[in-house]
Amino acid sequence: MTRTKASIRLRYAGTVALFLLPSAIPLALFTLVPMAGSLWTSLHEWNLITPMRWVGLDNYVELLGEERTRAAFGHTLYFIAGYLPLVYAGGFGLALLLNRAMRGRNVLRAIYFLPVVSSWVVVALMWKWLLNPASGIVNQLLALVGLDGPGWWTDPDWAMPSIILASAWKDLGFVMVILLAGLQAIPQEYRDAAKVDGATGFKSFRHITFPLLSPATFFVVVISLINGFQVFDQVHVMTGGGPAGASQVVVEQVYDLTFRYGRAGAASALSWLLFVVILLVTLVQIRAQRRWVNYG
Amino acid sequence: MGKVLRAIPVLLGALVMLFPFAWTVVTSLTPDGALLSIPPDFAPGDASLDAYRRLLEAMPFWRIVLNSAWIAVASTVLQLLTSSMAAYAFARLPFPGRNALFAVYLATLMVPMQVLVVPLFLEMRAVNLVDTYFALLAPTIASAFGVFLLRQAIAQVPREFDEAAVLDGAGHLRVFAFVIVPLIRPALATFAIFGFIASWNSYLWPLVIIRSPEFMTIPLGLASLHGEFTTEWNVVMAGSVVSVVPILVLYLFAQKHVIASVAQSGLK
Amino acid sequence: MNRTTKAAAALLTAVLAAACAQGSATRETAAEDGKVTLRYFTFSAAPDHVADLDSIVAAFEQQNPRIDVVVETAPFADYFTKLQTSIAGNTAPDTFELNYENFVTYADAGSLLDLDTAATGDDDYQPGVYAAESLKSFNHGGKQLALPASFSTVVLFYNKALFDAAGLPAPTADWTWADEQAAAAKLTDKKKGVYGDFQPVQFFEFYKTLKQAGGEFLSADGKKTTFDSPAGVKAATWLVDKVGSVMPTEAEIGGTADYDTNLFKSGKLAMWHNGIWQFAGMADAPFDWDVVVEPGDQTKASAVFHNAVAASATTKHPAEAWAWSRFLTSSQIMATTRIKNSWELPPVSDQSVLAGYLDAATKPANRQAVFDSLKSIALPPVIARQQEMQDTMTEELSNAAAGRKSVQQALTDAAAKIDGLLG
Repeated sequence: MTRTKASIRLRYAGTVALFLLPSAIPLALFTLVPMAGSLWTSLHEWNLITPMRWVGLDNYVELLGEERTRAAFGHTLYFIAGYLPLVYAGGFGLALLLNRAMRGRNVLRAIYFLPVVSSWVVVALMWKWLLNPASGIVNQLLALVGLDGPGWWTDPDWAMPSIILASAWKDLGFVMVILLAGLQAIPQEYRDAAKVDGATGFKSFRHITFPLLSPATFFVVVISLINGFQVFDQVHVMTGGGPAGASQVVVEQVYDLTFRYGRAGAASALSWLLFVVILLVTLVQIRAQRRWVNYG
Repeated sequence: MGKVLRAIPVLLGALVMLFPFAWTVVTSLTPDGALLSIPPDFAPGDASLDAYRRLLEAMPFWRIVLNSAWIAVASTVLQLLTSSMAAYAFARLPFPGRNALFAVYLATLMVPMQVLVVPLFLEMRAVNLVDTYFALLAPTIASAFGVFLLRQAIAQVPREFDEAAVLDGAGHLRVFAFVIVPLIRPALATFAIFGFIASWNSYLWPLVIIRSPEFMTIPLGLASLHGEFTTEWNVVMAGSVVSVVPILVLYLFAQKHVIASVAQSGLK
Repeated sequence: MNRTTKAAAALLTAVLAAACAQGSATRETAAEDGKVTLRYFTFSAAPDHVADLDSIVAAFEQQNPRIDVVVETAPFADYFTKLQTSIAGNTAPDTFELNYENFVTYADAGSLLDLDTAATGDDDYQPGVYAAESLKSFNHGGKQLALPASFSTVVLFYNKALFDAAGLPAPTADWTWADEQAAAAKLTDKKKGVYGDFQPVQFFEFYKTLKQAGGEFLSADGKKTTFDSPAGVKAATWLVDKVGSVMPTEAEIGGTADYDTNLFKSGKLAMWHNGIWQFAGMADAPFDWDVVVEPGDQTKASAVFHNAVAASATTKHPAEAWAWSRFLTSSQIMATTRIKNSWELPPVSDQSVLAGYLDAATKPANRQAVFDSLKSIALPPVIARQQEMQDTMTEELSNAAAGRKSVQQALTDAAAKIDGLLG
């Protein structure tokens, strides 16, 4: 009896391993090992071309005392606070609208997906042109309604809002597609049943659609936060962190430290500070999901 | 009436989304001289394919496209397989330490690539794999993003579906392959697109790990059009158009496939 | 196994096999029978001069059939990212290009081969073929760690048609800032979108105008900044005051790619401070334009951008690396190729070679100005934390240009920050 139990358990462990190893091995080799490498680097002074020099926790101490570190985290939080609500509300709205029967629906979905597949270099060039303070179309439209448009990304106060706007525009389609996939997986019987019970419109949305979509929503929020904290591409190509450092986010700082300033150790330390922040935020979300995410 | 009201914002939004792409196409068709005025003024009569011709001359373009395509396809296929299997384990196979392991998976998403590039390069160097297709592919064999996305999709599948199969005596591999995979096709198709895009647009890692021109990918090729002091924007835009089209085709194909599969599975 | 799993497994095997096969295939080509493969990494060839470089390589390989030169390129913006990583991973290219500003960092790090040692046994080598000043620029701690490969200078481009239309005399080599300023003010016509002048507000323009105003960026011992001075204020004010008066503001430029190039080429910019690398692109501009040495203030001073070729300290083929570096920087074919294609200028001492540059049939007519500008040059200050210094200077100057700080305040802040980098 115990023997068979043990062998059943062994077989089960084998099954679990079979399912996990194909992803666990490459992740360990090609992500965890480099992560350990960067942790090691963070304890050194290193400009990549001369040998590393051990400095212990100096990089961390130095970073924590620097005004620039606080500013970089501040700009990153600013980005998230603007970007996340915009992209989620917009993407959700689109997914709901484009999930209904409608002529040309597939074409419309593809159009909304265009920015997602375009490269940031192109998108940034274009937004810089649209938001050109002098002759950009946005300020021209604002002038039509009697508003004096701001300096957008050339003005330190408006640089981050410009980046947020461009990012939300680009990622709307991403959120839409994930939520659409979630919506399509909701069995029609559920909604029919709700209809029979007299739940329509907002009620059906609140009691049927939203709860059934909560795993997809949870995914979007967690991933958007993880990616938001690591915002880089759009900043790098739109403003390079400027003007006057007004949009210098954490990863832009990491990039500059590693590849432009020859301070790979400090860059690694900064990444690990960022890691701790993201980890805490994500753990809080995983904790909180029990209250609102509905698993089948 | 309601339908029309609903269509208006969607259509307006679509215009906003389309505009930049149209602008990219127009720029790519603009002859050198007409790019000069600010903002560029462009008469349709002046359209020229010069930029595309120059793009073909500037680099072994088809070789580069082929490289990008095969790397992207390989990494997408590998990720679909490895991620969906792990996702199944995390959603359906309880084992001690499952949540902790899942947290480790998620943690791999939390350190920026910008800081992993150097240690990963040193690791590839240690095993003598610098400048190979395998090294290009290595960081994209598995994807924690994919595991997470697909775990959420599997979690959405009512348990009755696979429990019924288990009662029929099916093992987990069979349940996974014949019950779960067909049910999460929309999510798989979605992830396939994202995996493909990520590989297709990936820049920093290929830049660092590749040195032979024969391994060059599209983003590297496009970047080579930026000189120290000047850039030929119409050629860059032509390159962008060419690089977006395959993904768009893939998306349209995947979208069709998703809808077909949902209809087939009798869920709708 | 069912069909889906089988198919997936087959695909997976195929993918992995292909990946590994490709990997080993490339590895083998490197070691052909007795032939030495020499890697050369460059930022200045792509995208416009790849063919020119190829012709130089071909000529070299013909003379040295035993050496196979493999060219690798990267865009300037990413070049040093890649170079640093490869040095860190001990896979540095045998030979590579360096600009003057970065040379010191690599020399200090011990990444560069001592070329004097590598040259022993090469009886043909004569240091005299290089312009002496050029050669000296890449001598570090008494060792020749790189060979000068090319240089380019910054001159004043002007649109002759605009000057003629306004009835103004064209700029001459005797011009001072005051002359430039007066002409710029008269030529600016914002209603027509015409600007009188364009000079970027950034580090490279500042260190040069500082010298023109009679100031110095660093103290003689290089331990302190000295630009927070009346000359510094004068130079920074000269740059900053143009913005919005005779030159478009940052907001007006609005991040348009190559805005100034396009503005000049479309005939809407009267004077333009830019490098001779723009000659080729401007050759077919539909109006008459020319160049002169930049106007000075207390003195004349022109910026020079200097590139060199160095060999890696870890190269396994020092003799071959030397042969190629020497050929690439001093051979006749290199000189003529560069001159014929306006690919910067060769750093050779032989004036008759350079004379060909003056005979070119394309604009500008006054090519002599390029050589005249070399008579008094301003070399950029170079420190260990170069990029941070450049970024800081540019950032503070743009604060002043945007009116967020007074010029004096911006310089004081920049000096304090840069002093911190020197420490």
